[in-house]
Amino acid sequence: MDTKRTGKRNTAPTEHSGAPRAVDHGTTAAFFLASFLLWEVIVRIFHVPRYIIAPPSAVMTQMAARFTDIYKHTLATSLETFVGFGIAVLVGVPLAMATAFSRFLRQTFYPLAVTLEMVPKIAFAPIFVIWLGFGFGSKMVVVLLVCFFPILINGVFGFTSLPTELQYLSRSTGAGAIRAFVKIRLPYALPQLFVGFKGAAVNATIGATIAEWIGGNAGLGYFISMSTGLFRMDIAIAAIIVLTALGLLLYGIVLWVETKMIPWHVSQRARINATGSA
Amino acid sequence: MCDSITLYGVKKVYDSRNGPVHAIGPADLSIRKGEFVSFLGPSGCGKSTLVLMVAGLLPPTEGEIRIDGVVVNEPRTDVGIVFQTPVLVDWRSVLGNVLLQVELRGLDPAQYRAHAVELLESVGLGEFLKQRPYELSGGMQQRTAFCRALLHDPPIVLMDEPLGALDAMTRTRLRDDLEKLWLGSPKSVLFVTHDISEAVQLSDRVVVITPRPGRVEREITVDLPHPRDFDVRQSPEFLGYVKDISDIFMQYGVI
Ligand SMILES: Nc1ncnc2c1ncn2[C@@H]1O[C@H](COP(=O)(O)OP(=O)(O)OP(=O)(O)O)[C@@H](O)[C@H]1O
Ligand SMILES: [Mg+2]
Repeated sequence: MDTKRTGKRNTAPTEHSGAPRAVDHGTTAAFFLASFLLWEVIVRIFHVPRYIIAPPSAVMTQMAARFTDIYKHTLATSLETFVGFGIAVLVGVPLAMATAFSRFLRQTFYPLAVTLEMVPKIAFAPIFVIWLGFGFGSKMVVVLLVCFFPILINGVFGFTSLPTELQYLSRSTGAGAIRAFVKIRLPYALPQLFVGFKGAAVNATIGATIAEWIGGNAGLGYFISMSTGLFRMDIAIAAIIVLTALGLLLYGIVLWVETKMIPWHVSQRARINATGSA
Repeated sequence: MCDSITLYGVKKVYDSRNGPVHAIGPADLSIRKGEFVSFLGPSGCGKSTLVLMVAGLLPPTEGEIRIDGVVVNEPRTDVGIVFQTPVLVDWRSVLGNVLLQVELRGLDPAQYRAHAVELLESVGLGEFLKQRPYELSGGMQQRTAFCRALLHDPPIVLMDEPLGALDAMTRTRLRDDLEKLWLGSPKSVLFVTHDISEAVQLSDRVVVITPRPGRVEREITVDLPHPRDFDVRQSPEFLGYVKDISDIFMQYGVI
């Protein structure tokens, strides 16, 4: 981003980057372990039927026993999720840029997009199944849709909220639109763009899962709905855990890229200068 | 031609949601080449508005501004602007922020590096080149902003209450820094402030502006030797200027 930042990285964010999240990992791990243990014990003591809830031990057993199935479905869901998210970024960011720059788009496309944002995107899923079939395409498009809107809307917001004085500064240098964009408007918008990416990352696996329920023949969502149909809670919960891990992976990647791209942003540094800068 | 900036009946009326706001004018005035002129007036009298109009960033409602005889009708690139707040970007170092001035102009920052470092050293920031703005104090941020405004060596410098947001001690120091910078390379300076002694210390001429809508109440030529150090500031002449100007604001009930 910053052409000047070629040498050593600024030390402050590096030193402190872990600080806001500086939790005692031991305590967290112990708590999780204890919760699973409690779950196991309750299910056993009260003889909860296996079709109501399965204990963690049974879930683990199925995770291993049904590994090939879970692996296959995970691959399908991952593909839908990552491709849908990726295309949403590739389409959403340039469209947000265009919308921010073009008065015409702001008056036509943008209100339409905001209206569509209000529609539960999942409602389109059956239509996509008819258009694109039961396979990869219809699921990927649902993921694309649920990711696209947070990216577009946060992008437009980011690109249009440059403080007046920074605009004055760049105008007083006579900088053309492109140079002003690259040097000021884009880096200024990055934190807001990442708000959109994170929102999209949260939506992505939800979109994939529900799209698979509605009409699919593969994927973890499909696998969960099949398993619950057979009252196999152990398998369903195993699939849910993998799905959660998938969601966390995507979100984690976005967070990682964020710390690399905007280490200077308030959200990324522990030490906030009390005097603040404009 | 020795006039640098000339205002002919310049007036600004803003259209706001609650109807038109007459901010300033009509004002007639001229600033000579190399002259340091302060605009002194109470809050809201249209000082920032005037600075923006001179910079070509805001069109006047009436009247005309000329720089070197040319009507200002688009942003002027031969001015350096210091805003009321530092307006630095967090993704660049102190040096990078100063160099932004030339990078936005499409110039090669490598060629201006030495000059930028020199400017930053002259205001005591030599050891902070690599720091980010958020790692600096408010006064250091504002000094960075001074350097950015001067890097391209503009013949005209516009400063909108550059010391306004600082504490009294830092203000006094930066005031001296500013005087030194200006004595080092005289430029036409339009300096906005609401601090009377600051205006008297720095200026060749103080333009006193009335409360909104701002009008030029009086122009006072300050005839004191530079640098106006501590001793000069205690002199009866210096204090006389301060009193004269205070009396004007007293009449308006501003102080
Ligand atoms: N964009 C705007 N739209 C409407 N009114 C404005 C706008 N900018 C300024 N004004 C009005 O114009 C008047 C002058 O504003 P200006 O910012 O020029 O004052 P100022 O002398 O710089 O004050 P201060 O010393 O507090 O910075 C104010 O009354 C303000 O309400
Ligand atoms: Mg102002």
